[in-house]
Amino acid sequence: MNFTMHAKLFFRSFFLQTGWNFAKYQNLGLAFVMFPFLKKIYAQDKDALPSVLQRYLANFNTQPAMASFCFGALAKQEERLAQAKTLPIYQERLSEWNAIKRSLSITSASIGDRLFWGALKPFTLLFALCIWLLLDVNFFEIEIQHTGLVQVFGAVLVAFCTFNVLSLFVKWKGISLSYHAPNNGCFGLTQFDWNKTIYDAKRMGILFASVLLLWGVYYFVNDLSGLTTIQFITRAVIVLFFVSISLITRDLGIPNMYVYIAAMLIFSIVGLF
Amino acid sequence: MGSILLLALVGALLELDTTYAFQLTFSRGIVAGPLLGLLIGDVMTGLQIGIFTELLFVDFSPLGGMLPPSAVVCCAVSLMGCSLGIPAYFSFFFGVLGAIFFSICEIYVRKQRASWVARQEQKIFKKPSYVTWAIVKALGLSFAMTFLFILIFGGAVSNVFVKVLPYLSEQLNIAGKFAYMAVPWIGLATLVSTFRLKAR
Repeated sequence: MNFTMHAKLFFRSFFLQTGWNFAKYQNLGLAFVMFPFLKKIYAQDKDALPSVLQRYLANFNTQPAMASFCFGALAKQEERLAQAKTLPIYQERLSEWNAIKRSLSITSASIGDRLFWGALKPFTLLFALCIWLLLDVNFFEIEIQHTGLVQVFGAVLVAFCTFNVLSLFVKWKGISLSYHAPNNGCFGLTQFDWNKTIYDAKRMGILFASVLLLWGVYYFVNDLSGLTTIQFITRAVIVLFFVSISLITRDLGIPNMYVYIAAMLIFSIVGLF
Repeated sequence: MGSILLLALVGALLELDTTYAFQLTFSRGIVAGPLLGLLIGDVMTGLQIGIFTELLFVDFSPLGGMLPPSAVVCCAVSLMGCSLGIPAYFSFFFGVLGAIFFSICEIYVRKQRASWVARQEQKIFKKPSYVTWAIVKALGLSFAMTFLFILIFGGAVSNVFVKVLPYLSEQLNIAGKFAYMAVPWIGLATLVSTFRLKAR
C-alpha cells in the first residue's frame, strides 16, 4: 500500500460511522472507507467490484479510532483474495477474510472502548478541569467570574490535543501496522501494550480525580469571608449529600442525569410548599 | 431569533462530530460549550454549561450501540435559553431534557435508517461509486434532523419559559440554583469511580 492510498483510507476513516444504523451498524462507512482500495485492486476486473462491495456492506461495528487495524488487515486479505487462482483457494481465503473481519472488529472495539472512552476521554476532562482551577476559573460558583479567552480556550485546546494526538496516531499507524503485520503478528495489535496503557491511564485518572474532588471542596468552601455559618453549612451539606448520592446511584446503575432531574424536581416541590 | 438560528446551525454541525463524522471531540461538552457560548457573546456561561454537561454525562460511553445523551444539544438548548435571558440554572435543566429527548429521537432515526441504508445498498450494487453520494446524503440528513430538533425544541422551550419566568417565586429560583450547584459534585464523584481499577 503506497502513501497516497494510506492517506485516502485515513481521511475516509473519519466517515466510518456516517450512516450508522441498528441493522448493520457501520457497514456503509466501511464500504466508503475501503472503496478506493477496492477500486484499485479490481481495476482490471470492474465487474467484480459490486459483489466485492456487498461483502463490505455486511454487518460491521467497532471503535472508530481502532478501526484502522481492521482497514489494514482487510486490505491485505483482499489482496490475497484477488490473487486466488482456483475456486477452493478463493473460498478458503474468503472464509479467512470473514473470520478476520469479525474477530478483529470485536477485539479492536474492546480495546478502543476501554482506552478512548473509558480512560482517555475522562482523563482529558480532568486535565482541563485542573488547568481551569489553576487559572482561577471557579466553575463551582453560579456566578462564574470572567476570565480571558486564552485561559478558557487554552485548557480546551490541551484536552482536545491530548485526546486527538493519541487517537489520530492510532488511526494512522493502525492501517500500516495491520497491513504489514506478519502472519503471527495479530494484525499489529500486539505492537502496543494496550492493557498497560489503559491500566496506567486509569491509575493516573483515579489520582487526579481524587485530588480534583478535594481541590473542589477547598474551592467551594474556601471563600468564607462573605459566607454566614448557615451558608457554609448549606454548602458543605450539598457537597457531602450529592457526592454520597452519586456514589450510591453509580453502584445502582442509575445515570447521573436522573439524579440531577430528581434533585431539581424535589427542590422545586419543597420550594413550592 | 438570530442567535437561536446560529446556535441551531453550529450545534447541528458540531453534533455530526459525535457519531457521523470525524469524532475529533468537537462535540464534547468542554469544547462545544465555550464555542457555542462565543456565538452568544457569553463564553463563561458556555464554559460552565459545557463543564457541567460533560460532568453530568460522564457515566455514559458510546459502547456498542449505546447512545449517550448529546452534549451538543444540551449546550445549545441551554445557551438558547441564556441568550433570551433565562438564568443558566433553569436553562441547563431544559438542555438536559433536550439531550434526553434527542437521544430518543436518534434511536428511532437509527432504526428507520436501516431500511434507507438497504435501499442505498441496492444503488451501490448497480453503481459502486454511488457509495460516496450515499455518505453525503446520510450526513446531510443527520445535519438537518439535528438542526430542526435544536431549533424547534430549544426555540419553543426557551420562548415559553421566558414568558413564565417573571411569575416564578424566589423559592423556585433557589431550588434551581441548588440543583444546578449539585451537578459538578455528582460528576466529580462519578469520575473517581469511573477510574476504578479492575483486574488487568
